[in-house]
Amino acid sequence: MRGSASQLRRAISLGLITGAVMLYLVAVGIVLAFSARNTITGVVTLGRLMLAAPPLAAGYVVARRGTDLAPRLVAGLLLGAVSGVIVAAALLFASAVDIRHILVRISPPLLAFLAFDQDASIGALLNLALAAALGLIGAVAAVVPSRVRRPAITGVIGVVVISMLEPFLRPRLTDFKLEGVSRFLFTHKGLSIASAIVVFAIFAVGSVAWPRVRARYRARVAAADPGTQATIRGVTLLLLIVFLLALPQIAGSFLSQVLVFVGLYTLLALGLNIVVGYAGLLDLGYVAFYAVGSYLTALLTSPISSLGVGLPFWVALPIVILGAAVTGLFIGAPVLRLRGDYLAIVTLGFGEIARLLFLSDALKPWFGGTQGILGVPPLFGVAKVSVPILGWQLTGPTLTYYPLLFFCVIAAIVATRLKYSRIGRAWNAMREDEDVAQATGVNVTNYKLLAFALGASVGCLGGAVFATHLASVFPGTFNILVSITVLSIIILGGMGSIPGVVVGALALIGLPELLREFAEFKLLVYGGVLVLMMLLRPEGLLPDRVRQQELHEADEEEEPGADGGALTPAEQG
Amino acid sequence: MAHMLQLDDVHTYYGNIHALKGVSLEVERGEIVTLIGSNGAGKSTTLRTISAIQRPREGRVLFEDRELQQMPPHDVVKLGIAQAPEGRHVFARMSVYENLQMGAFSRPGVSITADVARVYDLFPRLKERRTQKAGTLSGGEQQMLAIARALMAHPVLLLLDEPSMGLSPILTEQIFAIIADINAQGTTVLLVEQNAQMALNVAHRGYVLQTGRIILSDTAANLAANQQVRQAYLGEI
Repeated sequence: MRGSASQLRRAISLGLITGAVMLYLVAVGIVLAFSARNTITGVVTLGRLMLAAPPLAAGYVVARRGTDLAPRLVAGLLLGAVSGVIVAAALLFASAVDIRHILVRISPPLLAFLAFDQDASIGALLNLALAAALGLIGAVAAVVPSRVRRPAITGVIGVVVISMLEPFLRPRLTDFKLEGVSRFLFTHKGLSIASAIVVFAIFAVGSVAWPRVRARYRARVAAADPGTQATIRGVTLLLLIVFLLALPQIAGSFLSQVLVFVGLYTLLALGLNIVVGYAGLLDLGYVAFYAVGSYLTALLTSPISSLGVGLPFWVALPIVILGAAVTGLFIGAPVLRLRGDYLAIVTLGFGEIARLLFLSDALKPWFGGTQGILGVPPLFGVAKVSVPILGWQLTGPTLTYYPLLFFCVIAAIVATRLKYSRIGRAWNAMREDEDVAQATGVNVTNYKLLAFALGASVGCLGGAVFATHLASVFPGTFNILVSITVLSIIILGGMGSIPGVVVGALALIGLPELLREFAEFKLLVYGGVLVLMMLLRPEGLLPDRVRQQELHEADEEEEPGADGGALTPAEQG
Repeated sequence: MAHMLQLDDVHTYYGNIHALKGVSLEVERGEIVTLIGSNGAGKSTTLRTISAIQRPREGRVLFEDRELQQMPPHDVVKLGIAQAPEGRHVFARMSVYENLQMGAFSRPGVSITADVARVYDLFPRLKERRTQKAGTLSGGEQQMLAIARALMAHPVLLLLDEPSMGLSPILTEQIFAIIADINAQGTTVLLVEQNAQMALNVAHRGYVLQTGRIILSDTAANLAANQQVRQAYLGEI
């Protein structure tokens, strides 16, 4: 009995927290912003789902503990009811007293939305009932076996994701002459009830079938002889390359634009990952290198810049990289002696200084002040490239995509090679304990500067592509938010992990681009994501597994071939 | 050629704090020399000064007639001076093997297989734990790892900072046996210790450091018999 009493107490306190979270989501306006998005037309909107998520999740959490069925379900119900009481009370209060001059988002449309377009008192009761039901459903999800829970959750996620993609999927389906599919799936910017059921079923079945198919496939690959395995790997790689090359054609112009942003930030994050993830130098002014890359490219390639030389992009690129590396050394040298938070503060300052220099009136003859530099020619010199045989017309984002992909792949390969090289080990040691690294013979000065210079070089590539993509550069683009965003990507993905960087960029850049309503709340969401990550999964979404595996290989054989001798080529750098 | 290592009137400061007030000492090839003294006497500072992690404001540090005091620390390691720092200074998130690999950092392009085998022979415990993260080792194991890592640099002079710190008496005894063993294999050792008893047992000569000054220097046997030392450091009344 004591156990269930404590569970109920926990349900009440979690319910209070859940209610507060729901009120917060409502008060910042994010719920109403998303209420225009139909998930299932006429049934539920994304805004409604967003408000439903906290009691569902909390109900699940609270019911995970315990052995007896009844108290667990009661706990979920109680939790939901408590959170519902808070929302209902807030609704009644806000309807009676005008608090709009304090909380500007509490508008009549919001209150109407909260009250399901009913009277405040009826709306309050509905909220209470709904939240209690959601808490109970969450608890049920925790009680049922995972073979039921998993397909159900996957199905729901499938429905939400497909409905979110409606603005992009619908035109693409039309382009590919699949109007029939499009008409079946979507009505009024959301899924129809029938298509929602179908999507749910597909995802639910998929979640059951997929692990089995994968396991069988893996078993067959493992049983194959080494030659076949190599062929399979080769074919997989080839398919991946073909997919990546064809992606802009599949995605269309708008999604390609999103891909370009994701690619840019992936590149930046790969660069910053060297400085922060590998060498452990917390650089908050990384935007400086992005800016230097952009401005140098603009100066060198634009015929109407102050230099006016109008070099072709690929001729200018080596100079840009060199320039950025030198900037890296300039910023790196004065901060060599600083550690941890001091380093972060000083680099933060450097980032701002870079922006102000480009903005300044004194340097206007060179950098153009607020006007920036215009007339940056496209990357390949022409605005449009037609691919023979395939008949692709590449322009704008679908063209920029390719050099960006190329740079990302190069940067990822360089970063991976570095990581397992002698240089990578020195950085690793330095990050762990600078004094001891010195005492084992690591030239800390050189390795720090190397990290800054390499990080700067990769970051400037992003800047260079960015300048050609927009055909101009403006100082306003290079603000501190870029540094923060790139850092958030690394933290979300997992420090030092390269797949993590890609996932982080997709999540933090791709998602907000897809959900334009997010734009306003982007920083709020970043902040929330970072706090949650630090609490729940500080190692990131995709931490370094390879490294752990390597350690286990060393377990089996004495000499993993990774000693000082095996990696001399990398050491030349 | 004179002494292997010679400190000549070395003054080292931490900011305004005068930590070493004119320390002079010599270490000859093949010796174990111990530096004993109480907490804060400047023992670790002396080792950090030799390793060039800390720079002396005055005086000279000579190693085989070369001045170390202006050299960057990574070059000092290349000359063959390796330090096992005090306490838990291992690379905690690296495996034991990776720590050893880092120990050989000053000798690029050389296979370390034989050296790893050698330190595993000296410290069988490390072999058992070679894939484990160093931060998860016990205090004694971390101490062993710090020494093993220093040995990976093939030092001609090994600087040991408080190897017995925080260890059980049995482990301390084992560590000191290993130090004698390493020395017998040809490595000169400069040993900093609070455990004067053990240090004087294993060392040939010793210095007594007190508030940044050398107050006594003699053979280990004579120091162990010295009334002043016995009272101050060997716990006799």
